[in-house]
Formats: sequence, C-alpha cells, structure tokens
Amino acid sequence: MTIADQALVQARLRSIQSITDAALSRLDDHDVLAELLERTREILRADTAAVLLLDMASGQLVATAAAGLEEEVRQGVRIPLGRGFAGRIAAERRPVILDRVDGTTVVNPILWDKGIQSMAGAPMVASGQVIGVLHVGSQTPRKFTPSDVELLQLAADRAALALQSITAQADRAAAEALQRSLVPSALPLVPGTDMAARYVPGSGGVGGDWYDVFPLPTGEVGVVIGDVAGSGLAAAVIMGRMRSVLRAYALESSDPAEVLGKLSRKMEHFEPDALATVLYGILSPGLDRMSVSLAGHFPPVLARPGQPAELAAVRPGPMIGLGSRTLRPTATLPVPRGALLCFYTDGLIERPGQVIDDGLDRLCRSVRVQPAEAACATVMGAMAEDEPSRDDTALLIIVRDEEEDGPDA
Amino acid sequence: MPEHSFPVDETGGIPVVRAPEEVDVTNANGLRAALLEAAARGHGRYVVDMSQTTFCDTAGIHALVSAHKRAQAGGGDIRLVITGAAVRRIFAITGLDEVIPHAASLDEALAQTSRG
Repeated sequence: MTIADQALVQARLRSIQSITDAALSRLDDHDVLAELLERTREILRADTAAVLLLDMASGQLVATAAAGLEEEVRQGVRIPLGRGFAGRIAAERRPVILDRVDGTTVVNPILWDKGIQSMAGAPMVASGQVIGVLHVGSQTPRKFTPSDVELLQLAADRAALALQSITAQADRAAAEALQRSLVPSALPLVPGTDMAARYVPGSGGVGGDWYDVFPLPTGEVGVVIGDVAGSGLAAAVIMGRMRSVLRAYALESSDPAEVLGKLSRKMEHFEPDALATVLYGILSPGLDRMSVSLAGHFPPVLARPGQPAELAAVRPGPMIGLGSRTLRPTATLPVPRGALLCFYTDGLIERPGQVIDDGLDRLCRSVRVQPAEAACATVMGAMAEDEPSRDDTALLIIVRDEEEDGPDA
Repeated sequence: MPEHSFPVDETGGIPVVRAPEEVDVTNANGLRAALLEAAARGHGRYVVDMSQTTFCDTAGIHALVSAHKRAQAGGGDIRLVITGAAVRRIFAITGLDEVIPHAASLDEALAQTSRG
C-alpha cells in the first residue's frame, strides 16, 4: 500500500468515525440513520445504501432508512431472517459481497428493479446481538474490495452502537413519562388514614412496578401494588393496561381474589406473554380490616402499635399470566387503630445472592408505627444498598389514624 | 444468535439445561437462549436442572414461565429440578410450584420426562 493509499484509508476511516460521534449526541434515530447512510454512500462511492433493523417479535428485517433506495422504506420491505442477501448477513453475522443481483441471490425485487448490479452488506451488532444490516449497492458492475467491506463493517458497528443508545434513550424517556402518568405521586385523601409512597426506577431504567389507591362506591378503599415482569417501555405499557383493567373489575366485586382471577383471565387471553405479580387489598369502610389476595406477590408487612412488625399471614396464589385456574386465597387482616400497612415490590427486598427471607426479615425490622412519610423514609433508608437495585422499587405505606376521626367515629 | 454460557447437556436423549448458581436480570437472557436451544433439541421435552441454583429473581421466573408456556402450546413438557430452599421459596410465593412440574432430583425428572 502506498503512502497515498494509506492516507486515503485513514481519511475514510476518520470520515466514518465522525458520523457517529456527531450522531451519538443527537436524539432522533432517523436523522442519525439518514446522515450515516449518506456518508457511507459517499465514502464507498455507492449508489444506494440502506439499513434494515431486526424486529425481534417477527424475526424479520425491516427496511428502516435508505439513501437512493427510498422505495424500500416506503413499501415497508420485510426480509425473513436467513433468507436473501440481508437475511443471510444477519443470520450468519458476517459481511457478504454479491456480484450478481437477481431472484436467486436477493429476496427483495426492488433491488433488481432498480438495476443494482453489485452489493455489499455487513451485520449491525450491539451487545452481542444482531440488531440489523447495513448494505450498499452499485448500479454499475463493480467488485467491492475487502477494504470496502472493512469500512462498511466499521460503519455498521458504529451505527449499531449509536442506534442502541438512541433507542434506549427514547424508550427510557417514553417509559418514564408513562410511569409518571400512571403512578401518581399524590395519593387520594382517605379520611382516617395517612398514606405515602415511593417509586424508584432501577439502574436499568423504569420498569413495570406500580401502586394504586382508589375509593370504591361501596365506601371501601382499593389498594394495589404490582410488578410487571420485564423493563422499559414494554413493561410500562402492560402495567398501564393492568392498572385500568384491575380498576374496572374492582367496581364489580368486593372479593380481591375474584378481581385478581378476572384480571388474570383477561391478561392471559389478550396479553399472553405478560407476567406480573399483584397484590390487591380492600380496606373496609370502617378501615378496621383489610381483605387481601395475592397473585404471586409478597404479603404486606403489618405493624400494630406496641408490637414488632410482621409479614401478614396471607397464603400465596399464582402470578398473573401463569394460566393457572387455582383459586387464589383471600385473607382478612384486622387493622387496629394506629396500625401501619406496608406494601412493596421485589426491588425493595431482592439483592443478588441474598435469600429472599433475609430481605423480608430486614424489611420487617425496618417497619414500625410512625407517620407514613417518615415510615417511607425509614424503610427506604434501611433497605437501600450502596449499589442501586437493578430492578425498580415501589413502596406504599398506609397508616390508620389513632384518633377517632375516621369515618366510623 | 444471542450469546449464552449455560450448557445444554443430554442424558438418555433428553436435553438438560444446567441453570447457574444465580439467575437474575443480568443473565436471564442467557438462560432464555439455553431454554430455546433445549426446546429445539428435545422437541419441547427437556429438563431444567436448578439443583445448583441458590438465587432466582423475577427475570429468571419470567424466562422459565415463557419456556413452560411454549412447551405446553407445542405439546411438549418441561420439568424442573429444584433442591434449594431459596428457589423453592420463590416458586411457592409466585405460585409457580403448582404450575410447572418439578422434581427433587435429576434422575426423577429424567424418569418422568422419558415416561412422558
């Protein structure tokens, strides 16, 4: 290689690098891809450039952005994994060069209609996973060289990194907005009680934890805490649906187990992949007892005045989404004046390598009768570790007033 | 292909996934991949050996439930080997013990799976 050649290679490399350094600081993935494709086309002196992203749900590559090949995106071209040119690149995770473009080598007719003669493509890999394919095409016969392919792979790698970070940011922002709208920081005022709550996203972002408190037409008060498996936007969306469905069924029945049973049937039918743990409790109009049923969720911690806090004796029932027809048990807990009820999700008590019972013991030791806000602060202080929890955490505390100013006074 | 580090062995023609000591959100995708591999090799009939597992969080539970549902939908059968108290506890709390068949030893699970 001559010095001039080396200088050219260096210049092309720098040009690729500059694409994504600028891209990473931006937010819109379509802008990033458009710029990336233009630059890739320019550097490789190609006529077309396109990015197909892998849709995990369908296992298909979806044309997402293109330069000189816009029809692909407008027509929503989808290529099954393993088939055709792009499908092969993604399945085999290696660059492919095509010297002949026709029905035997590519699936997508737009490519041969367009008169593309030669193509080169590279897999886009982020965190060990193929997320898509970047390919370029030439309308005149051309042999893409190993050095072209190397540059293309570099562009694909950088694009994958940029896209991963952008998608994660966008998903995170949307999930946070959804979480904020669904998990209100202000709880309803229920005379005779004092309530406070906390929601803390996990180090992996927001997830599917939620709590909900709502007065019922019967004078009862519904209390929910739940955790949808998974994280990010997908979990937050499922959480939003479960929250409304549970509220709807809560109007129909005063038996928490029946409400959870209906919720489970509905979720299993319409969201067969969703999985969640939920606690649903109904506080009596006099606030003196709570009936509680569990769908794979941890029992509440109950602190009575003058006594150490303990896990309420509620037998477990199956999680939502397991497809179990087992009737969930309902337990009735007496709630004396001044008693404190603590509801929580697994993010509060689960730590890698720790047995759950250790976490539950630690929680019981941290719960004592005190005003709800102070109790939240005490519990979060006692349970938080130096390392933030990977999982999100929800905590809801309800204290029954000691004085006789409740509705039964 | 997603990367995973959980071995899928075979005993008497039945795929056996060896779950790691700790299953959590950091490696649940690896477990998922191993479960898919075992399902493909065993046509939906396989064993998940959790006898070395001392910790399993909700991410792990989710992976196991998805695998169980897939197996059921395809007429298959998965069987877990559970020996540790911590795993038994999370299975009891989540109600999984009543849903996914499990055995107290690998031999027992293999015998039940081959009997079908």
